[in-house]
Amino acid sequence: METKGSKAIIDRFRSITDNTHEYAKSLKAKGRLVAGYMCTHAPEEILYAAGIVPLRILSPHVSQATTRGYIHETYCSFSHDCAYQGLHHSYDYLDLIVTSSSCIHMGEAFNVWVRFAGFKEKSFLIPYPHIIHTKPASAFMTESFGQLKEFVEKLSQKAITNDDIEKAIKTYNHTRRLLKRLWAFLRHEKPPITGPEVAAVTLAAQVMDKEECNGMLEELITLLQTEPGEAPPGVRLMVSGGACDDLVVFDLMERLNYATNLIFIDSCTAARYFWFEVPEDMPNKLRALAEGYISKIPCPAKDNVPGTGEKKRFRFIQQFIEEFKPDGVVFLYQRFCSPQPMDIVALKPILDRLGIPYTELELDSTVPISQFTTQLEALVEIIEGVAA
Amino acid sequence: MGYSINAWPAFKNYQNTRYRNYLYTSQGLRCMGSTWSPLAPLKGFGDDVYLIGGEPHAASAAGTVPEEAREDIIAAEAAGLGFHSCSYLKLFNGEVVRNKIAITDKTVKEGYPKPDVIWTTHLCSQHSKWYQEVSRRLGGIPMYAIDMIGGGNAEKDPKIVNYVSDQIEAGIDWLERVTGRGFSDELFVKAVRNEIKVLVLWGNICALNMHSPAPLDERRLIALFPPAVVDRTTDECVQLYETLLEEVRRMVEMGESVAPDQRFRIVYFGIAHTYGHPEMARILRDAGAEIVASVYTFGTCGNFKGIVDGRWTWEPIDPQWVDDLDLSTRRKAITELAKIVLGWPTWQGVRSYWALESMAKALVTEFKADGLLLAPSRGCETDFRNGYIALQRIFKDQVPTVEYDTDQVDVRKMDLPGAQRKTELFVHLMEARKKGRA
Repeated sequence: METKGSKAIIDRFRSITDNTHEYAKSLKAKGRLVAGYMCTHAPEEILYAAGIVPLRILSPHVSQATTRGYIHETYCSFSHDCAYQGLHHSYDYLDLIVTSSSCIHMGEAFNVWVRFAGFKEKSFLIPYPHIIHTKPASAFMTESFGQLKEFVEKLSQKAITNDDIEKAIKTYNHTRRLLKRLWAFLRHEKPPITGPEVAAVTLAAQVMDKEECNGMLEELITLLQTEPGEAPPGVRLMVSGGACDDLVVFDLMERLNYATNLIFIDSCTAARYFWFEVPEDMPNKLRALAEGYISKIPCPAKDNVPGTGEKKRFRFIQQFIEEFKPDGVVFLYQRFCSPQPMDIVALKPILDRLGIPYTELELDSTVPISQFTTQLEALVEIIEGVAA
Repeated sequence: MGYSINAWPAFKNYQNTRYRNYLYTSQGLRCMGSTWSPLAPLKGFGDDVYLIGGEPHAASAAGTVPEEAREDIIAAEAAGLGFHSCSYLKLFNGEVVRNKIAITDKTVKEGYPKPDVIWTTHLCSQHSKWYQEVSRRLGGIPMYAIDMIGGGNAEKDPKIVNYVSDQIEAGIDWLERVTGRGFSDELFVKAVRNEIKVLVLWGNICALNMHSPAPLDERRLIALFPPAVVDRTTDECVQLYETLLEEVRRMVEMGESVAPDQRFRIVYFGIAHTYGHPEMARILRDAGAEIVASVYTFGTCGNFKGIVDGRWTWEPIDPQWVDDLDLSTRRKAITELAKIVLGWPTWQGVRSYWALESMAKALVTEFKADGLLLAPSRGCETDFRNGYIALQRIFKDQVPTVEYDTDQVDVRKMDLPGAQRKTELFVHLMEARKKGRA
């Protein structure tokens, strides 16, 4: 059955996340260069300024053993799955692969691509601070971004001008603002779009040409503003954790035996991807990018304010709780990830003080639906018990 | 008959005294953090600065008081830290949770001695999170983590050296503010020179194991590097390593060794899991197989020439070079300190597979290995895990190579019978290779 209105656009976004390769190859067919990136700390704007479409490497969620001969089994499934994409040659059409030095696990996934998947000559590792709040971080990043710019200029045989970067910054900031507006619908009691749908759109944005993405987002938001909310108000669930590109998990959160609404996702595949802006019209464009990326919600692997040891991400989480008003929090993280669970230990007392119940779900390549359902329904029962 | 190291009692005493000073001082400044931190900046704040480093303390506690160590790890897990997390981190945090601490002289002190400041580094994804958790549990200890960024050959990259130096410089200002103490450049420069000297001296001692027989075995290497990790900034520490270097040089001249039966020379990659499993070392010893070189014992607190003409070498640095270093300004001293710390071998492979592999090739060649033993630590995400897999590919046709999983201090994570069988197989492979050659 053909869908109409906002649903048709959401379906198109979902179709892009489900068929990333098809979408990317269509761009290639139009003569575009396409670059893969593995961590959201990679400044996509520099690639985009060179006319290259950046596309995030996502996992296939295939149960496989291939990568065990390349990455130790105690690395997270997301890194295994991304490494598998390289070994399986799923992304051979890419012109380039880049990443910033980020967590150890994803760094090794990148190494697998470079060493064993044929990307040695068309790869770039961006030296990137592991604590993003240090005073000299900005200068360090500016220099690193300059190195990336030079590399991309050689590869694309095109000089990247300040105007090119400024235009890319504005295009990307526009995407970020539109995504924020989309997520703002989830603050409502009866939003016209569901959390899983917003998650799918956000994931699609990470693999799309941003101009096309912006056009679709504008159209979607315009339609949503005129549409009444459908979902009956249920228990409001917020997710906080690490990379999760398996939309099945988010769908599950709204398919329980209780009425539930997924109202926010604090993760690098969702809000942490876009919840920042790069300063516009600064004379030094690379510096502007550095400032922008420093202002991101930090990845737990990079979050440590010198002098206090504060985790800056916690400020954002508390802000999201205030704005989106969850009844419960689902900590969702990759099995074997170290930084995420270490933050959860410190987050739990904060949630206890706020009176917000929580549960933990540990992700692997495949999703244990029954187990997760039981845990989520138990959380809802706790919440309803608390409310009663 | 094996040689007995004369310098050993002084080494043990130094380690114990440093820990006791941290535990029982009623004055002065208690500082906590990764031992993989530049320590000299702390010593610019006086002679009454007492240190406790995370990794060496956890490792030595596990070796000295294993029952306490196990309780610590379990307590940390019960408090929410994950089963898969670093076991050094869990042991350390477990002591905070249990509000008691055990040190190398087997003292178990009730009441955790709170640090005044945390001064540490960040390299792996959990490295400084370790101390964020300690700080939180102790009510918010002021904390400064230096992003060491790392990567192969980082100490020769001006961009990285400046980045780290800038952080150390800002860190000194922070320490002044938070401790309310004045910073003495004179004390600092003295500590920098000592710190660098100790690292270079230990590198020289390790490099003597290129000789046959190797004067030191893994057990002695593990026992003799703690002063360098506990506090390498003092005159006393420099003297310890100068004395030891002289003694080991004499051993080489006389053909002496602490373990003279060396039919097979083994190169080892892994954290020293023999803390928890001495039976593993026994299998090797019974077969006359000795670990003569390891990145962990050499490279945690030792420096070598490193990458020269694009390839790693374990050749030592001339100690005279340290005496000639220009440390005439604070910035110059900071820069030299940043370089030496960034040059630690254990850090090279964390972010750079090529550096790790270059180190391994040099280790096998320069130390004339008969076999390569790989024992990655399941709890350590930076323990060259992926390097281990690549190393098996690289060396499979060159020297017998065996890999088994272990853990630095969590004995629950090791398949002991499986590892024992693999070690026996390893010995047979080396034997067969030797016979084949003959």
